[in-house]
Amino acid sequence: MSLTPLRGRVAYVFEEADFDVDQIVGVENIRLTDPDALAACAMRRFDPGFAEKVAPGDVIVGAENFGYGHPHFAPMIGLRRLGVRAVIADSFATGYWREEIAEGFPQIACPGITGLVQRWDEIEIDWAAAEVRNLSRGGALAIAPYSTAERGMLQAGGLIPYLREKLAAGSG
Amino acid sequence: MGYTIAEKIMGRASRAGVPVPAGAEVEVKPDYVLGYDFPGYLDLIFKQMKEEFGIERVAEPERYALFIDHMVPANTPDEEELHIVTRTWCAENSVKLHEREGIGHQVAAEAGYAVPGGFVVHFDGHIAQLGAFGTLAIGIHTQLLEAFVRERIDFTVPETTRVDLTGRLAPGVMARDVFHHLVRVLGPRSCRFQVLELGGPALGDISLEGRQTITGLAMFTGALTAICNPDRLALDYARDHVTGPFEPQVSDADATYAALHEVDLTDLAPIVVVPPNPAATADLADHAGLEVQAGYLGSCASGRLEDLRAAAAVLKGRRVAPGFQLHVVPTSQAIMADAAREGLLTTLIEAGAFVTSSSCDYCYGRIATMTAGQRAVSTGTLNVTGRMGSPDSEIYLCNAAAVAASALEGRIADPRPYLAETGQ
Repeated sequence: MSLTPLRGRVAYVFEEADFDVDQIVGVENIRLTDPDALAACAMRRFDPGFAEKVAPGDVIVGAENFGYGHPHFAPMIGLRRLGVRAVIADSFATGYWREEIAEGFPQIACPGITGLVQRWDEIEIDWAAAEVRNLSRGGALAIAPYSTAERGMLQAGGLIPYLREKLAAGSG
Repeated sequence: MGYTIAEKIMGRASRAGVPVPAGAEVEVKPDYVLGYDFPGYLDLIFKQMKEEFGIERVAEPERYALFIDHMVPANTPDEEELHIVTRTWCAENSVKLHEREGIGHQVAAEAGYAVPGGFVVHFDGHIAQLGAFGTLAIGIHTQLLEAFVRERIDFTVPETTRVDLTGRLAPGVMARDVFHHLVRVLGPRSCRFQVLELGGPALGDISLEGRQTITGLAMFTGALTAICNPDRLALDYARDHVTGPFEPQVSDADATYAALHEVDLTDLAPIVVVPPNPAATADLADHAGLEVQAGYLGSCASGRLEDLRAAAAVLKGRRVAPGFQLHVVPTSQAIMADAAREGLLTTLIEAGAFVTSSSCDYCYGRIATMTAGQRAVSTGTLNVTGRMGSPDSEIYLCNAAAVAASALEGRIADPRPYLAETGQ
């Protein structure tokens, strides 16, 4: 099994290092769990028209240590509902990375990504070549490899299906 | 070739049973699997075990220990229902439950899960504080489920950044300041996906309690966890608390590190961490005089005897400013009992502190909730927006003595003049 091919636009670039993802929905909304409610409040403070502009298959780009602080699940539930298929960042915060990979949500570490792309550029992830390509302006950058377990979780669609496969294969 | 303490512990817990270098992918068997009940945490794991995997019971109940330390005491029927789910599951699984004994990360040490050389997982990263005893303890978030449905979990052996502490801490400067200073010097991304290993001559001068404070906050350097090579102090504690034999591990002199730093503590002054970012470290002096309405002395990071002693030294014979809300919550019931025996609680109460039994609930604003426009000084773990109530309230993190001094003045205050006056 292989990872789902990704091709889409850069729907937003968070240029702030150590970005606290809870800001995407606002701290007042981090306890929400309904994807529609979260989609409705996501990105409002960054771009009030975001929900109308974003399209299924788009990605979000972040800078260094994306997800630092005390991240909750709510922001990415909202973004996924809006069609965002991956987050690409120069680097990720440890806890945020672990949680979203376990959700089966592709997080792609790509040092230099904030210099490679601008908002609304079309990009493509070539998993086989392990690189991100900017289809709008040209240029490509290598992406950091996944561990076997991380790749397994992304391919299976999250921690639970991944563990089910593992247990079915007799790896207790 | 030498190995770090983390490589040795992961190797011991892996199928290989021998040290493994950073970067290797291993399947490790945790010596202890820990967790606390909170909506969407243990209740979800219990449900997933059963419904997704058809597993009714964990295979080796003696490797598990759970805590009821959040929502204590319950203040809605739903909260009590959740606790009942946890109690029932523990009874059915013959798993040890620690309820109302204090904040789990501290109770874990008291109950003997901080085994030198041991490997421990939890979903919450503050479990890193077992590193004070030479235990590799990692918060693995939702992936904790794996430790409930399999004997082993997948892990990539982390690299290690080593920090040697030198110099001597001045009076009124505490372990809490040391940690926030490390974030200031190293930065919030310095140890991403790594283990932060602490050592150096000054570490030996820092108490085990202080080391729990420092290691427990490691996540704000980006680290997976933090660890100290166990010295005599740590081994003596372990011998008093751990049941059964253990094999302490220490880093080899020629171990390979991702980075090495030396941090001199000599001129360190009290620190505040400015909201809303756990890395926004500043000297307390730069924010002294800022009006505050509330103070919290407690949490898994701070709230141990030395914190209570420092606060009592500042508050002895004085009164908290009129209208100021000072909440003091010892980290565990055992610590509270010790503080009572020492007379510390009397001092704190007579100064106007509101002292309560141990609970996690003050740290995240479930109780003592702030409203818009209020500001607190706190030894809690975190100062992000809305952590202790309204998104329009603010939290300045600082050491326990500084919380006490600020409570006296109703403004952010340096504790050192008060300590000097009382001869501490």
